[in-house]
Amino acid sequence: MRTIERARRGGERLGFKRVIGLISVVVTIGLAAPAHAQIKLQITEEGGSSLPIAVAPLQNSGGEGEQRLGEEFSTTIARDLNLSGYFRVIDQTPGGEEREGVSQEAVDFQRWADLGALALVKGSFSFDGDALTVEVRLFDVAQRKQLGGKRYRGDRRDLRRMAHRFADQIMFFLTGELGPFDSRIAFVSTRGGGRAKEIYFTDLTGTQVTAVTKDRTLSLGPNWNPTADMITYCSYKRGGPYPYIIDLRTGEQRRLSFVVAYSGGRWSPDGSLIAISLEQDGNSDLFLLSPDGRVIRRLTEHVGIDVSPTWSPDGRQIAFCSSRSGGPQIYLMNVNSGTVRRLTFRGDYNTSPAWSPKGDLIAYTSRAGGFRIMTIPANGGDPQEITSGEDPTWSPDGRYVVFTYRGRLRIARKDGRSVKQLTAGGGDDTSPAWSARLE
Amino acid sequence: MILVPRGQRAWNSQASKKKRRETMRSARAWCWWVAGVFLIALTVSGCPKKAPPPPPPENELGGPGSSGGLGPGGLGDRDLAPSDPGRRTQSRVENPQSDVSSGPLRDIQFDYDSFDLSAEARDILQTNADWLKSNPEAKVEIEGHCDERGTVEYNLALGAKRAKAARDYLVTLGVPANQISTISYGEELPVCKESNESCWQQNRRDHFQLVGR
Repeated sequence: MRTIERARRGGERLGFKRVIGLISVVVTIGLAAPAHAQIKLQITEEGGSSLPIAVAPLQNSGGEGEQRLGEEFSTTIARDLNLSGYFRVIDQTPGGEEREGVSQEAVDFQRWADLGALALVKGSFSFDGDALTVEVRLFDVAQRKQLGGKRYRGDRRDLRRMAHRFADQIMFFLTGELGPFDSRIAFVSTRGGGRAKEIYFTDLTGTQVTAVTKDRTLSLGPNWNPTADMITYCSYKRGGPYPYIIDLRTGEQRRLSFVVAYSGGRWSPDGSLIAISLEQDGNSDLFLLSPDGRVIRRLTEHVGIDVSPTWSPDGRQIAFCSSRSGGPQIYLMNVNSGTVRRLTFRGDYNTSPAWSPKGDLIAYTSRAGGFRIMTIPANGGDPQEITSGEDPTWSPDGRYVVFTYRGRLRIARKDGRSVKQLTAGGGDDTSPAWSARLE
Repeated sequence: MILVPRGQRAWNSQASKKKRRETMRSARAWCWWVAGVFLIALTVSGCPKKAPPPPPPENELGGPGSSGGLGPGGLGDRDLAPSDPGRRTQSRVENPQSDVSSGPLRDIQFDYDSFDLSAEARDILQTNADWLKSNPEAKVEIEGHCDERGTVEYNLALGAKRAKAARDYLVTLGVPANQISTISYGEELPVCKESNESCWQQNRRDHFQLVGR
């Protein structure tokens, strides 16, 4: 009991509760008018140029609070939109916009049009005690019309999440599909110093990094549960390495298995099972565990290496990496029947599969000279190269992959265009795992 | 459904063996702990009046803050016996040079993505086996390592194959199995940090770490 309390305090000290705390109220303000055809076409069209968009700092509309918050909000949105690869964020404002209102009637659209903006993000924030309210709108500059707006309530520390959420909404207003930015990426890093590897997670700015482990040993292979409040990983802290689960809400940790594992395993889409590679007597095979660590079923029994299981979004299939034919290749297994078939045939070293949340593609790492991120249709077909890197993980909307390149996390659109750096410096960052969208 | 009762049983017994080992380890740690408490109690009050609290449960709960230090004077909730594998990894992580202090036992090297034992590796294993047989009190942990090229999880599994290959060969040469344990570090603890073949070759190795007697 004492340990539990200490764990809770540990969790609070690290701000886990805050970090995954909810933004309490979200209200749509104004009618989400259908996006103007011209803008919508520009953003969805394959090969279309990026949409010029201006993001004005939020205005302080009352109560305590510094203008700095308004800038933090707009720079977060601007960064998300830049990462998305669909926008060109205009890096200036006409000036004097703090005297301009934030509603459709009050915005002087011509001044923004003169900057070349086709779209404009504008809003305000106010404090009532500790409670922060943000109202923010997306406008079509040429049509002088609001495309959508949201009101968020939370506290000071929710500001960035509100910005990520509205970036997701901007993608929704313009494409009919939410963006992936209100989510987290878990990863392994040496940024704590020396050769120790710890688990961290970050928001999509890559700058708000939270340490999950502080064990000064090797902690590897993180993965999220479907509700993005628990992380599985493996650690050498008690030998092994053994798989562990940490609950980010409480900071509570428990060992998932007393058998050696080389990652934390992957939760099934419904959260009821964890597919994991366990090692016995030098050989790795796949198992299904319940989240409390019971063996539900053994999936493979082969002298070759079987690692890196990843679930199809319907939970019926698992893709994994196996050396059963010599070098590592990607295989698919029907979870119910146990039938296995080989998916990749090109190249002699294909590893770390990741099944897109949309179900259609599997991304993986392929060695061909250097290491490259590839995608292949889940029902077989020709692989397509995205870019250089290793260990891909999909965004919750299936539009992007994040991966490792030379000790940095990078993001790319799934067609390989718009490759951008997510983390920069302070140690080697590897093994990214993108969470589901936060609730 | 692919239920394989035989394999399942084998696996379970393997798991329970591991569990027994765990329990034995924690029992050993417990003895040290009791001895320590007893000593302190003697020094301070002359005679221990209260029974010591029960040992910590296997599935310890620890917040990320609370599992911070494992060094001397750390949390006191951990097995700190010299043979504790977690502690051993920590010291290997903190002090890369400990890689060279394996006494008379020499490393063996592997080809890329392979755990086959070369003729040279077999010669070295013969020498290592002779030494282990004439020093039956010595315990060795075989660490399987890989070069940096490839995926972390696959390389950990490959390192396990490399460690197992050496272990099996040592056993066929007459080294008692209970003298040997194995662990894989994959590509996590390279001895050489440059990206070239000579460096990669040094990193694709089994290292033989003496782990106390």
